Amino acid sequence: MENLFIKADTFIPEINFNAQTGELNISGESYHEYTLEFYQPVFNWLTEYLKTPGRNIVLNFCMSYYNTSTSRRFLEMFDMLEEYQEQGKGIVTVNWYYSPEDVDMKESGEEYAEDVNLNFNLIALVK
Amino acid sequence: MNLIINYAQILPSMSATEQPFSIYQFFSQLKLHHVSMVAQGLISQDILSLIALSLRRRPDNEVVARRLFAIVVELSQNIFHYSAIKEFSVKDQRDTGVGIVAVGESKTHYLVASGNVAHAENAAYVAKQCDYINTLDSEELRQYYREQRRKPAKVGSVGGSIGLIEVARKSGEPIHYEIIPLEDGNVFLIFVAKVSKAISYAD
Repeated sequence: MENLFIKADTFIPEINFNAQTGELNISGESYHEYTLEFYQPVFNWLTEYLKTPGRNIVLNFCMSYYNTSTSRRFLEMFDMLEEYQEQGKGIVTVNWYYSPEDVDMKESGEEYAEDVNLNFNLIALVK
Repeated sequence: MNLIINYAQILPSMSATEQPFSIYQFFSQLKLHHVSMVAQGLISQDILSLIALSLRRRPDNEVVARRLFAIVVELSQNIFHYSAIKEFSVKDQRDTGVGIVAVGESKTHYLVASGNVAHAENAAYVAKQCDYINTLDSEELRQYYREQRRKPAKVGSVGGSIGLIEVARKSGEPIHYEIIPLEDGNVFLIFVAKVSKAISYAD
């Protein structure tokens, strides 16, 4: 399966999904006006990727800002991965990175960690 | 910056002939009220990214700058998706809402104000949402936000749910709103959200 790469812009994050290593990276900012459209290729890729069992997936979020519409998309991603894991298909880990002074980003990570049943690590970035 | 000055365009009841536009008066008003930034028209993500740059340069507190920007984005994207006045966006190849967003400050707070023409029934719905949100404390807002995020977005939603909760959470104070009836039966819907300048990292 091909890797998925989307180059970042000021209002879209970099998407770097590696099909071989199972490392899925999302970083930057996300406040696209039409998040459903922007994230559609990401969901298509994930749907395809999660058809194969036995994967060891690490999802790295390193966001500095995202809007509420993106926040829905992230939850949908977590739901897909949670389902994959709960069906015993594979193992999923989420690493949620935040700047030490960004209390809001840390809290956002904590909220997702409470809302989904995934191994969730909150990691303060070292400056 | 998208600083267009045609008030008649957003306030149909204020005809340009009755009250000729004066850029000096406009400038003086902004200066008097310490408004540092105004964007009017189609407030797209490209314009928001410029506002982000500008906001990050100003408040010396990074948390305050981030919160201000989050409020600007949510209020602007509300306008973008739900304003009753639409313009065709060549970039998006579809109609998008227009309105106005301003950032100003008082001694103690930064303020973000937004305004757009809305259908009266949509404005009434959002006002009800806003009244409810304003009764919640920060922990209740956190719960309500998560609860609403879990629900699928309503078809033809007027946006009053998760975006406004985010505004309230980032602001930490009640959201002020105002509904001004217009002659054509629509209303002009205004939101004002405040962010204290004295937020510490520990908050």
